[in-house]
Amino acid sequence: MASLQDIRRRIRSVKNTQQVTKAMKMISAVKLRKSQERLVALRPYASKMAEVVRRVVVRIKGDAEIQPGPAAQAFLAPREEKRIRLVFVASDKGLCGGFNANVAKAATAFVAHCPSEIVHLDVVGKRAVEWAKKQKLTPTKEYLNIPLPGLQRVVTEISASASAQYHDGEIDALYVVYNYFNSPVAQTPTVLRVFPMELDPSLESKEAGQVSHLLEPDPNAVLETLLPRFVETELLRNLLESSASEHGARMAAMDKASNNAGEMIAKLTLTMNKIRQAGITNQIIEIVSGANA
Amino acid sequence: MSLTIKLEVVTPERPVFSAEVAEVQFPTASCGYYGILPGHTPVMTEVGDGLLYYIQEGQKHWLTVFGGFAEVGPERVMVLARESETMDMIDLERAESSRQRALKMLKEAQTEHDMALAQAKLDASLIRLQAAGHPAGHGY
Repeated sequence: MASLQDIRRRIRSVKNTQQVTKAMKMISAVKLRKSQERLVALRPYASKMAEVVRRVVVRIKGDAEIQPGPAAQAFLAPREEKRIRLVFVASDKGLCGGFNANVAKAATAFVAHCPSEIVHLDVVGKRAVEWAKKQKLTPTKEYLNIPLPGLQRVVTEISASASAQYHDGEIDALYVVYNYFNSPVAQTPTVLRVFPMELDPSLESKEAGQVSHLLEPDPNAVLETLLPRFVETELLRNLLESSASEHGARMAAMDKASNNAGEMIAKLTLTMNKIRQAGITNQIIEIVSGANA
Repeated sequence: MSLTIKLEVVTPERPVFSAEVAEVQFPTASCGYYGILPGHTPVMTEVGDGLLYYIQEGQKHWLTVFGGFAEVGPERVMVLARESETMDMIDLERAESSRQRALKMLKEAQTEHDMALAQAKLDASLIRLQAAGHPAGHGY
């Protein structure tokens, strides 16, 4: 049986760990709030943007008089997906429960079932780099330790180069694998095709005859300026979703760790008291039997 | 036909404005200003930098908008702006100091790119100053 001293030492060590996990939980809570605020603010913008793009696309598709330009054409009639670009978003740090493992699983499944060739891989976060290494994939570009305000720059970079690649026929689609932020304690690993856009055929037929927007100055100019911005917004949203998810996951993991540490301390204290009591009982027995003799 | 039109202005950072208004006017990137009354024909266009105004209960109100898109329908105007502010969001001191800095940059600009950056910065600060009714913003 462990000695009293050993157990005391263990209790102290668990207490220290608990303090660390509690602090980490608090920090994550603050970071979560920041990410979540930005995400919640962006979501309505992103959904409206998607709506507008969809409407423009339907409009151009439904009007035979409009000659779609190259950018528009690529969007309206998606090419066969032979080469794709993939953006994999995970975190830089660990200690966030199943956050990285889950999204990596989704990415692995996607890569395994994907019939097309991944010609360009962007990875965001150190864990994403590790995943790529394990999959024997070479990331084209790594984005590490990106702070929240730096996300915009990453997004602009990726979307600009992806749009150019699509335009030049180097890639046929852009996919993102990330954690969707359901709530602070629930994330869903998600695979999203940013472009070409998936149009719901039922909506398409419903809306085709309805509104016919004038597109000023001309349809192609509108679409050509609209699309890069749409891609940017989507990417930014995905990165923010992932960031909020990460902090949420870490907060939940650290909360659990703190609770477990608490439980462990209680258990150890109980054992310690038992051992101490056993020692005292022994001593009393010795004294009593000594007095009797 | 309703006599009001729903104006919505959203940016990536926040929803800026959403209410029923009587009239809207906003700057476009290529076709000057668009004035929108209820029942306007559907239009979609790129938004330029400048001041948007709307009339609500007979009062004219201003918003700044910087780039983005506008979708106009008979019953609503949706502006997806890159940046936008209401009057009370504008920090006058910041706009003024930004104007000074932009002027300085403009003087010291070496390349055309620097020049364009400085000019854009100056324009943005002037729009903000003008919106806030600051004397430096007039004559813009």
